[in-house]
Amino acid sequence: MNGRIVVEQPGNSVVTDLGRFRGPRFGLPVNGALDQFSARAANILAGNGDNAPLLEVTALDFRMRADQDLLIAVTGAPLTLTVGGREQPQWEPVSVRAGEAVAIRGIHTGLRAYLAIHGSVDAPLLMGSCAPDTVIGFGLRLGEGTVLGIQRSVAPLRQPYFDIPLFRLGLERPVMGSELVVEVTDGPDVAEFGGSADLLFASGYTVSGRSNHIGLRLGGELPERMSNAEVLSRGVPVGAVEVPNREELLVLHRGRGVTAGYPVLAVATSLGLDVLAQARPGDIVRFRKTTVAEATLAYRASMRQLESLRTTVNTVFKLLGVGDEPGWRELPPAIAI
Amino acid sequence: MSTNTAPAVEIHESGDSAVRVVAVSADPERNWDTVHRLAGWLDTCGAEGLHGAVPTYDSVLVEFDPALVSAKQLRAFIQLGTRQLGLRQLDLGGSSARGPQEFEVPVAYGGDFGPDLEKVAEQQGITVDEVIALHSANSYTIRCMGAPAGSPMMDGPDFPLPVPRLKDPRLSVPAGAIAVAGRQAVIAPATAPGGWCVIGQTPLTVLDLGRDPLVPYRPGDTLRFRPISHEDFDGYVGTRLAAVRPLDLHPVEPQPAAAQQGVAL
Repeated sequence: MNGRIVVEQPGNSVVTDLGRFRGPRFGLPVNGALDQFSARAANILAGNGDNAPLLEVTALDFRMRADQDLLIAVTGAPLTLTVGGREQPQWEPVSVRAGEAVAIRGIHTGLRAYLAIHGSVDAPLLMGSCAPDTVIGFGLRLGEGTVLGIQRSVAPLRQPYFDIPLFRLGLERPVMGSELVVEVTDGPDVAEFGGSADLLFASGYTVSGRSNHIGLRLGGELPERMSNAEVLSRGVPVGAVEVPNREELLVLHRGRGVTAGYPVLAVATSLGLDVLAQARPGDIVRFRKTTVAEATLAYRASMRQLESLRTTVNTVFKLLGVGDEPGWRELPPAIAI
Repeated sequence: MSTNTAPAVEIHESGDSAVRVVAVSADPERNWDTVHRLAGWLDTCGAEGLHGAVPTYDSVLVEFDPALVSAKQLRAFIQLGTRQLGLRQLDLGGSSARGPQEFEVPVAYGGDFGPDLEKVAEQQGITVDEVIALHSANSYTIRCMGAPAGSPMMDGPDFPLPVPRLKDPRLSVPAGAIAVAGRQAVIAPATAPGGWCVIGQTPLTVLDLGRDPLVPYRPGDTLRFRPISHEDFDGYVGTRLAAVRPLDLHPVEPQPAAAQQGVAL
């Protein structure tokens, strides 16, 4: 471990990645960044691979400080990002000088922010992923004074004469708000709900405060299952919309238990899950029906956006010498004591 | 039913990143065999964009990356795979690298270890001792790995009646809890909320974050419960659950796990 980041104000933050894709086979949820688009974008903007460990900051203010120069990028919900007290843009690469505080404040109109650091941070892995799993108690939840190891340093990239933002890479940011539209496809068990299945699209649902990374609970008009027959435990997809009781709708997210015995009414699309990742308690969610084919096209279009961002970032970083001498350097090995 | 025809399956859309494959023969054993065999094949086929398969009783959820594979492509691939499995129907070893293993699980029944034991006895109309005897009588086949944390899901003991779930699920059931519900039995590998009746607890460590895989068993393995006294519980704490010996039916190489049995980390 060479450079160090010290967390001064953890808020509610963890180190995560895109998820434990090998987990479900062994009964472990995939977990990982709930807003996958924002997490990928943060890593790309920081010159990392999509799946590099990064910080997920949920709802509360966060502050850290490093003993090395860093290059970072912050995405996700709108917020105020300051570095050394100066406000810096979100969704762009940002330089941080050694000793400067990086602060995320006032996350609003959304719930989760992603902070990626060029070269990433050291994190323990389980089945190839650092994504926290709250059920088995694995993962790196940040506390006051938590030290994160970093392997690389990037000398300050600043406009030499005026301290104006250096980058304007222009990624189209996801739309956020308090009235959210989530696309879903018909679930494998939609027939069990008969005509009441269409209620899902009739009116909005209110996000309950008891929502988390395992699932979102939504209040509103509930479709009703026609039979009460026991269902054999089955693997349930992330995004499954279920009606487990007469009070709330449940939309499973990335922390979901991999098997369950409730019929699946609908399934949120991959992009819909990103929208739900930013839903705050009290927000209104409206479901819109789509098809698997359309959802796949929409997802691929959003991945193409990220690919074109990656090309731009690579070009710009190459010109600036990031990822290459002289702007980027491996930290010298720690001196053995 | 011929043994060398492709198993009958239905493939259901389950969003843009998963499909559910259901085996639809009239024989539950064959369905279970089909979905686990299919999952094993999908797991080892090395197809790009395939994340993995979650097999349970009669169905398998197949997860994939929609950027690389479409649900339509996956459907065709699975149909091809099930035909392939039809040809290999007689190969009882399937695609698994090792034969089934056997596990013995010491259990302290009742008291604080099994707060619902008396309730279950009462509901079944039998004595507490009879519940314990029935629960520890037969060996169970692990049907699938369920939530939470790779719980071994098993067909339950020969109780007279199905066991109802708790009206108020517990917010926290300790790791090692031995529970029953409906016609099913399970061990809780990790502390988690739960609505099943807890009749005992094993002192063994089931889930070990330092081990890959995290739990030592997998579907098709067998498991037997052995009653121990409450006083003996502490003596086992810290010991990891490990296979007893490979089943004679399917001789395999000696397992390192078996040699480690009884060794605490």
